[in-house]
Amino acid sequence: MRVRLPVALLCVAVAAVAAGPALGQAQKGADSDKAMKSVPAKPAAAKATAGSVNAPSAAPHPNGKKGGVLLAMHREDLAQGFSIHETATIATVWPGMPCFNNLVMFDPFKQVESLDSVVPELAERWSWQDNYRNLVLFLRKGVKWHDGTPFTAKDVKYTFDMVRQAPDAQTRLRINPRKDWYANVESIEAADPHTVIFHLKRPQPSLLMMLASGYSPVYPAHVPVNDFRGKCVGTGPYKLKEWKKGEYIEFARNPDYWVPGRPYLDGIRYLIIKERGTRFAALQAGRLDISFPGEATKPIADQLKSSGAKLNFTLIGTNVNDNLIMNIKKPPFDNVKVRRAISLAVDRRAYAKAVHQGGAVAGASMQPKPYGFWGLLEKDLGRLPGYGKPEDNKAQARKILAEAGYGPGKPLQVEMGTRAIALYVDFASFVINELKQVGVEATLKQVETAQWHPLVTRREYQMGANLTGLGIDDPDGNFYENYACGSPRNYTDYCDEQVMKMIETQSQELDLKKRRPLVAQIQNKLEEDAARPIMGWRTDYFPMAPHVKNLVPHHNIYNYGRMQEVWLDK
Amino acid sequence: MRGYITKRLLIAVVTLFGMSIVIFVLMRLAPGNITDIIFESAGYVDQEDKKRLEVELGIDRPLPVQYGAWMRELLSGDLGKSYHYELPAADIIKPRLPVTLELAFLALAFSILLGVPFGVISAIRQDKPLDYVLRVVSLAGLSMPSFWLGMIVILLLVRSFGWIPSVQYVSPFDDLRANLAQFFFPALAVGYRSSALIMRITRSAMLEVLREDYIRTAWAKGQREGPVVWRHALKNASLPVITLIGIEFAFLIGGLIVTETVFNLPGVARYLIDAIQWRDYPIVQNLVMLIAVIVVLANLTVDLLYAWLDPRIKYGRP
Repeated sequence: MRVRLPVALLCVAVAAVAAGPALGQAQKGADSDKAMKSVPAKPAAAKATAGSVNAPSAAPHPNGKKGGVLLAMHREDLAQGFSIHETATIATVWPGMPCFNNLVMFDPFKQVESLDSVVPELAERWSWQDNYRNLVLFLRKGVKWHDGTPFTAKDVKYTFDMVRQAPDAQTRLRINPRKDWYANVESIEAADPHTVIFHLKRPQPSLLMMLASGYSPVYPAHVPVNDFRGKCVGTGPYKLKEWKKGEYIEFARNPDYWVPGRPYLDGIRYLIIKERGTRFAALQAGRLDISFPGEATKPIADQLKSSGAKLNFTLIGTNVNDNLIMNIKKPPFDNVKVRRAISLAVDRRAYAKAVHQGGAVAGASMQPKPYGFWGLLEKDLGRLPGYGKPEDNKAQARKILAEAGYGPGKPLQVEMGTRAIALYVDFASFVINELKQVGVEATLKQVETAQWHPLVTRREYQMGANLTGLGIDDPDGNFYENYACGSPRNYTDYCDEQVMKMIETQSQELDLKKRRPLVAQIQNKLEEDAARPIMGWRTDYFPMAPHVKNLVPHHNIYNYGRMQEVWLDK
Repeated sequence: MRGYITKRLLIAVVTLFGMSIVIFVLMRLAPGNITDIIFESAGYVDQEDKKRLEVELGIDRPLPVQYGAWMRELLSGDLGKSYHYELPAADIIKPRLPVTLELAFLALAFSILLGVPFGVISAIRQDKPLDYVLRVVSLAGLSMPSFWLGMIVILLLVRSFGWIPSVQYVSPFDDLRANLAQFFFPALAVGYRSSALIMRITRSAMLEVLREDYIRTAWAKGQREGPVVWRHALKNASLPVITLIGIEFAFLIGGLIVTETVFNLPGVARYLIDAIQWRDYPIVQNLVMLIAVIVVLANLTVDLLYAWLDPRIKYGRP
């Protein structure tokens, strides 16, 4: 396999030259090895996608003005400094992204993320070899880390060996939440200073999606990984100027940035404001230019709109879902019928209206359209438990519970745990009320938020109201993390051999037309098994001042924070 | 007097020692530790990695050992290292102290400047319309939590003027005007509640004093209202007021926690809450000890003020 690579590389190079300069033309076909190409950071005009309420920045504004400092909202101080690889929270990714680059990224101007919207970043082009068993990435030359050290293939190998916890990795992360993303990587080879090859155990086109996530920056091999908890050395468009703990994080333009003419901004200041009311009052009063991803719920957006604040709103999906977790290892939820009855009892559309005041949409385990790429169609959703006619579903739930031995004389009694935060409690209370209508007596147990994951990890819960954010809108990124046997974030311990086979099959499928129905089948199966019944997918109205240009919020909170193209028209 | 102060300081040492045990034990009784919080941000818990981290931070050691280590550090002037920021605790606390102290003193100034005159006016206009108005104002102050009042102030400002005070801290040394504009509303929000209490105590103390014989004598001698009320009556009515101000100063810290959060002021009070949520033991323990020291010193100062205000009070004599 490796012997053939030089020949393949030559072919790729020829193909790349012939292919032209369009950006974002990666991954157009899946039936043969493909050469990919790019022109650095010259975004193609993007179409405004569905879901925009008022999206003046949906198409890129050319010829941005230089200068100005963007004042960005931030909801809490950094949990792990800038060590994105050690966290699974937007609170780190959002202010960390401007410091770093990825190998590839999602087109900043396209709201819907898919393999089609993956564009080059530190890898100026890439090529799949050996029927998607090897991903060859050709790295940009002349890129430097913020401390002046040249960026090479060694940095890439170092980073991803560390994340996948390779036996010969140079270092180890203190916490490693995304190790499983790279479970299919057999080895990483720095073929030369500007070529790196990911050797896979089996074909996996989704690897590119994972590499494009805001969660996948490249770290410098020469900086100890622990240092990122206090400082940031990246190749990104902005250099860390100051992190005033608990107050703000400030970046200044990287004058040596590898994209000529970028970034436009002199800097970015993320103001840490813990109180939500104050955050939005500051945005309304013009003390901030942009919101924080996922924060502007429908009630907040409605209030801002009614106040007459000069803000533009963009309705986007967040790729964050509310879900019910049931401890499958313990009765009564070891019985799939009982789980199914629970799922049937909760009216998903009423949930979106009552708990989110319409600021959420119904969908199965992948983000629904138009926000997501893989979500089930409305007509298919209607056939799943909890999505059809509420009265019919509830009647069916009562029947199933009766078959399982529960009824008016012997009601099913369960404890519903959740974080002691208003929105979670609202979520849990709604479900409890729905369950009451089918004769299930659920009691609410509020858990201090910091204790939530320790509790579910120890499986010391019966049933819980949970929230899951997905780093990428991709079946591999979701299914392996949340539904695969043995995954640390599979809190329910759902484990089905047939589903695992289906997940493996779709993961290797190169033809998108064939992969879509496979993914749909998995979603149907997961909902029918009530593996982790999805209650709804949250939306965000991402408000920003009209003078902010070229910031296009994506239908995924984790992947649009680079700020390379953003400029201020004032 | 010197003997009295020495005795009080010795008692303070014992109090602080007791306080150190209470806060140390309470923090350990709270469920979870910093490693839980760190893993919380990663969405999973790996027991092996968690254990490794606990060893690294030294929180796997027996509690007496941990307490001994903290006391040794504290007595040598070392506040330890923040678990969250991985920086010396002193570096985290030091820049936040002036923010809280400024807010506390401004709030106290507001509460005295509003509470004492209103209390006096209310007393000398007893059962008149002005008295009723001021009593309603004070009752409202006691009924409204400062965080709620703070949020209402912010919402009213943004709604009415499209303006709120800066959400980024401005040092008085950089821009005094901007600093005062930033602190005015939070100080008012916190000070208003305290002023209401001070007003009520001042009023009742004044009413009592105004009925004393020597005041009646002063009136009979034809003295003007000003000297009678402000010089004779208020000075004698001020002992309970001073006591209350001392107690309120300690309570102010509690009020500041939420007010600093609402007005986004980076003070120690707000940070204390963050540190508790993070189970950042070195920060919480040392901050609580600092607050305890402030409370002890405030009480001592009040007691010493008694002697200055009332010559009949003498310390250190049998």
